[in-house]
Amino acid sequence: MEIVKNRTTLLVILVTLLCAILFPIVSGNVYLLTVLIIMLIFIIFSSAWNFLTYTGQGSLGHAAFFGIGGYVSTLIAVKSGLSPYLTIFFGGAAAAFIGLFIGVICVRLKEWFLAMVTFGFAIIIQVLVVSQFASTTGGWDGVAAPPLISSSIPNYLLYEYYSILLIAVLILILFRIILNSRIGLAFSAIRENELEARAAGIDPVRYKLFAFMVSAYFAGLAGALEIHYLGYITPEIFGVDISFWPIIYSISGGLGTLAGPVIGTVVITLIWDSLQSMGLTYARFIIIGVLLILIIIFLPKGIVSLPEKIRSIIDARKRRI
Amino acid sequence: MDLNPEIIVPVLFWGLYAGCIYILLATGLNLIFGVMKVVNFAHGQLLMIGAYVTFTFFVISGFNPYVLLAASIPILILVGVTIERLCFRPILGTGKLNEIFISIGLIYILENAAAIIWTDEWRVLHSPYESITIMIGGMKIPLDYLIIIATTAGILIGLYIFLRRTSLGHAIRATSQNRKGAMLVGINVEKMDMISFGIGAGIAGAAGTLWVVSGQVFNPYMGSIPAVKAFAIVIIGGLGSIPGAIAAGLLLGIAENITIFTIGGAWKDAVAFIILIVVLIFRPTGLFGESGE
Repeated sequence: MEIVKNRTTLLVILVTLLCAILFPIVSGNVYLLTVLIIMLIFIIFSSAWNFLTYTGQGSLGHAAFFGIGGYVSTLIAVKSGLSPYLTIFFGGAAAAFIGLFIGVICVRLKEWFLAMVTFGFAIIIQVLVVSQFASTTGGWDGVAAPPLISSSIPNYLLYEYYSILLIAVLILILFRIILNSRIGLAFSAIRENELEARAAGIDPVRYKLFAFMVSAYFAGLAGALEIHYLGYITPEIFGVDISFWPIIYSISGGLGTLAGPVIGTVVITLIWDSLQSMGLTYARFIIIGVLLILIIIFLPKGIVSLPEKIRSIIDARKRRI
Repeated sequence: MDLNPEIIVPVLFWGLYAGCIYILLATGLNLIFGVMKVVNFAHGQLLMIGAYVTFTFFVISGFNPYVLLAASIPILILVGVTIERLCFRPILGTGKLNEIFISIGLIYILENAAAIIWTDEWRVLHSPYESITIMIGGMKIPLDYLIIIATTAGILIGLYIFLRRTSLGHAIRATSQNRKGAMLVGINVEKMDMISFGIGAGIAGAAGTLWVVSGQVFNPYMGSIPAVKAFAIVIIGGLGSIPGAIAAGLLLGIAENITIFTIGGAWKDAVAFIILIVVLIFRPTGLFGESGE
């Protein structure tokens, strides 16, 4: 199977990867390393969210899966003493299981319903974690999570970074393989026209459910990684922001492309951090909100389509002359 | 616990009162969806703005907060029209996902603009009639509850008359029934979009005023939970159906109050969601929805 289409793309990917590998060693800056780790985790999270849009579905509450993954992985790691590198997969599985439950109810319905139900689900689950399950989850105080790698080991951050980088790359390759297979074709057929897809013998419900579960699984895994990296978990993980970040990253990068969430996460994180360093608190949310609306209106295919767009504008200019 | 009539009647009545604010939100959502086929996920934030407008005018003028409906409704209509013109019109018909995600930008803008203007402290305002109760049929009812129920009924009846009896209302209904057909008979459908979004936002503003008057706390980030309940009502009642929204709103208000009395207050916010899931399992188009949509 051909994983990468042409040489330029391959070159871009290799250079990016090389930068990602060498950068921490060359710079040696600890703060940068923490930024990069969070960035990688959100690349996984956004890619998982974006996987859903290949079937034309959209979720407004992926924080629910992110948080479920974090809580389940933490609780298992605390109770059993297993390494977080194993428990993150249980966290993902729990998220996928809940995802299956939500998916079964919603996938047959219109897009609006899925968005409304997921949006509500993330908020309701926060209410329940704080009140009803407070004895296991520690309520608003949260619980401490075992770290990925013990901080007594020298350069532990570097090891964490490389392990998360490896996981992220493997997940992106997995997505690429799935989307290049017949499943990916079925996804596009469903996205373009569900009725015609059904006429062609594709069962939309099954594929949509599959996409939803995969998406929830990796969102949960990303959540578990984030929690074990940070070392604690609180119900704030179910916050509306956490649901919105993968959407903002994916849309700015380019919906329905593998590179979109990666580029979007990097670019928006850089903008976000520079706004933060300018001392803006509430205003940076407003700026990001305006940016999102502008991108949806004027650049609906995201930053990925920017070179193409610029080329077409230049061509149009040339033709006029 | 035993459920005797002395408890059931007040619980039902409180349910009616609690449902009012959600019914108003859901009605606005349905009106907008009916005409534009767009769900405004930032509707709860419009309620929040309505609450702050009421609060600000109350602090400045000291008027009776109920009178301030006359401020919150027109201001929110303006906000709604602006939002429709700037955000929703450019992307109408470009794909459902875009229409969903544009609301996220709006939520960020509205919440944080409110946080800059009014700070993110929790606020509360007390109604002047807070301590007054009226005896009806052996039941003590706070006057505020009666006024809130009457105001909601008044707004809904006003909307009904507007949609049924005026030519503008006919044009809005025509657009919502068949957009192309409406265009063919010479209705300016884009104007109808703008008007219905404005009315929907105005009703959310009224809901904001009632939220404040009913003594509930508010801060810039409070919009999501009422919005989730309004979504639940919209889905239970059937997307686009205003009578469905009213019935589902009453159902939800009553269910919430029964939950508080039987299981406990912690589940209050979750019950809407549980009902929603149960309804979706058995009737995917909502209790009153048409089978087509």
